[in-house]
Amino acid sequence: MRFVPYILALLSCSWAVPNSFAQSEQGEKSSIRIMQLRRDGNLRIRYPDALPSLLAFMNEHARVKFDQDPLFIQSLTDERLYENPILYINCDELPNFDFSVEENDALRQYLELGGFLYLDAGIKASFLGADLGHSYAAWEERPEVGEWFSQVFPEKPFIPLARNHEIFRTFYKGLPTNEDLQLEKEQKRLPETVLTFVEQEKWPQGTYSLVGIKVSGRLACLASPICAMGWGRDEFGSWIPPISFRIRESADNFDETLKLASFAGNTFEVTREDGLQDEIFVMPGQRPLWVREPTGRWRIFKYYSGEEISNYAHSFYARLGTNIFLYALLN
Amino acid sequence: MKYVIRPLWGLLTPFCFAESPVLPLTNEPAEQNQSISLPPPRSNLEKTLDEAENKLKSSLDGDRLAAAKLLGKYPNARGTYLLLVGLDDDNALVRRASIVSLIEHFDSGQPMYDRALTEKIFSKVGDPDVEVRREVSAMIPRLSIGLMRSGVERTVVNGRMVFRSVPANLREDLFKLAVDALIDVDSIVRQNMLKYHSNLRLPIFPETLGVLLSDKDIGVLLVALDKVRLHPQDDTVFEKVELLASHRELGIRTKVVSVARELGYSHPLYRGVLRKMMTDDAIEIAAQAAVEIARFGEKLPDEVVAKIEAFLLQSPGLSGKVESIFYGLSSLGEDGNRIYKSLTSHPSGKLRSQAWQRYLSLTEGWNTPQVWLPALSDRDVDVRSAILITLRGRLPELGEPEIRTLIDSRYADVRAFGAESLLSAQPVVVENTFFDLLIDEDNLVRATTLRVLAKLRTQGWEKIHQQSLHDQEYAIQRAAMDGLLINRQEGIAILKDYLSKNSSTKIAQAIRIELQRMRVPLP
Repeated sequence: MRFVPYILALLSCSWAVPNSFAQSEQGEKSSIRIMQLRRDGNLRIRYPDALPSLLAFMNEHARVKFDQDPLFIQSLTDERLYENPILYINCDELPNFDFSVEENDALRQYLELGGFLYLDAGIKASFLGADLGHSYAAWEERPEVGEWFSQVFPEKPFIPLARNHEIFRTFYKGLPTNEDLQLEKEQKRLPETVLTFVEQEKWPQGTYSLVGIKVSGRLACLASPICAMGWGRDEFGSWIPPISFRIRESADNFDETLKLASFAGNTFEVTREDGLQDEIFVMPGQRPLWVREPTGRWRIFKYYSGEEISNYAHSFYARLGTNIFLYALLN
Repeated sequence: MKYVIRPLWGLLTPFCFAESPVLPLTNEPAEQNQSISLPPPRSNLEKTLDEAENKLKSSLDGDRLAAAKLLGKYPNARGTYLLLVGLDDDNALVRRASIVSLIEHFDSGQPMYDRALTEKIFSKVGDPDVEVRREVSAMIPRLSIGLMRSGVERTVVNGRMVFRSVPANLREDLFKLAVDALIDVDSIVRQNMLKYHSNLRLPIFPETLGVLLSDKDIGVLLVALDKVRLHPQDDTVFEKVELLASHRELGIRTKVVSVARELGYSHPLYRGVLRKMMTDDAIEIAAQAAVEIARFGEKLPDEVVAKIEAFLLQSPGLSGKVESIFYGLSSLGEDGNRIYKSLTSHPSGKLRSQAWQRYLSLTEGWNTPQVWLPALSDRDVDVRSAILITLRGRLPELGEPEIRTLIDSRYADVRAFGAESLLSAQPVVVENTFFDLLIDEDNLVRATTLRVLAKLRTQGWEKIHQQSLHDQEYAIQRAAMDGLLINRQEGIAILKDYLSKNSSTKIAQAIRIELQRMRVPLP
């Protein structure tokens, strides 16, 4: 599962950082600082424990040395941008996507010089609206991100990452096992229907819907559905906050039943991995009800919560986050 | 074209949704437009529920399962009661689907406060299927509102109507199920029951707590440790806590430190647990325990202080456990100050800035420039500004060497602070140094210097301000104007003179507004 060569590479990660990024005087040679863009300072924070917890998680498990305090910048023209190789933005924290020409120029230069931008919540299905408590694995960037990047790299669209992309295997490989979850062997880690869906469709082999932009042949910008909600841990190591699962289930004759069942809401089209569109059925005030898939199959959305669900989801998101940040460092 | 006519009953029910468009009747033969087909009309809510009810009675497992899943989408009283039927199904899959759908009803705002209803759901905490038990045990906080409802019971005794109050207790058979669930074979159920026992007013006896404190599951242990406060003086419970103080998991040991800290005030036995933990193999646990002991007023051995210092110096940042240890250092007295000082060279910017603030505050270090002057050469602007905030307004009179050090800094914020410091310097020091600040490359430094000179009324300040009104930078012009305005006697004449010669500049407009506000006749 864990690769010794990678660990060795990570131990010497200060060499993995592009030369363009200067090292600081106070000994940061031995610890890497992640930058986070926060426009409104402390006014609009989503999941405040998330990034520091993930950095601690990586320090603990990957034996890499990240500074656990992210460096918060308010503008992309901050001169410190060029001193650190990874910039993290939780798009749900941004008051808007208005970036000045100077900021876009600075970002373009940053990415061209070898910097890496991770846009968490850079994927968000339109039907979620302003609801920040949900994620949905669409396979395209959210419209605001697309519009912003058309000003940064007009000629480069976001491209979905293949399921066999190395980013999914940078450090962790596959989905969490009972051992990873600290469960006894015979313990059920998830309800059966949930486990089947997760393993086969939601996160097969520990993958997820990611889209990215390559700059000079290197993946320089990555967008994902919100992952930060899965990174937080309290001082005792328990995951925070609780996470639920939305899964798709079928049953006998659902293709007919759901086609005819009472419904008074709206439908939304969401792009799938294969580029086709799912039609999501949503009733006002309720979570999405069911989906008509392009194959003609109808499936119902079911919602699962509880300790085991939350622990599993957190474990997955922390492993994915680790893979993303370590990939960013190594490439 | 096929035309669809909404059935009359559909128009009359409140669930007449815009699913099937009402189209006009026509005499046009249908076969002429057969190539276009509309989706079949959706049924209304009543009909959908009728169908689900029929399927729930089906002998086919698949039908019952489909109905249980679908009913979750209709959060209303009828849907809820139909799902209760599904809870008694022979097939575990149907029972699972029913409980998941009931939770969906809860989540959609369907009220479930009826006692009989909640008792029915809670009774499934004894279901043979683990998934059902997990879901039900996780629902306890929601179910408890109905479950623990008191009320009045009406009975007929010898032909007479008698009203008796029903206490807000769990029904006897359910109470037994809940007690059994505390030691369920599944750890998630155990954890949920323990976490929510107070919602059910379920007592945790010392023997039960002792068993749960020996649990193999980390999650159960963490919750059980939270409950130690229920029986802190029980010998078995205390022994278990002592054993957990050397548990293999760091999280558990950290929790033991936290529990021992809380109980240590009223139950000194628990301080003994902390003392033992000061020798923990993990330096962070040892450091945490030591800081807690110091908070009780006990003196720490030198080697323990050294451990704390080593832990903080090697920690990668100020968060989580490090943070609580860091702020606990002040209870170590002189040793704590020394550690704060050594942390001022930590690689983490946040830790450095906090260490400087704590160190300067606890030692009144602002009185000794030799202490804080080196700190202002920190490359991290956040560290420098944290230090400057601590120093501002507290500095003693600075001598020329200190002022020189500040104004020679490579950082503009420090040079601006040097300009501010002139306010408390001897006039001769001001006269020897202000010129360097006035020709600084940074606007903020120059503007600050102008304001300071106006405040001090340094010799020749009027001419400097008069010249500065012609500076290219608006910030400098503005500072010059402000300086002239606060010294009205000399300043007004200079401003009026400027206005008479430069009436159309941006600063001239600002001057005009300010003078008008002061009711000064304009040229």
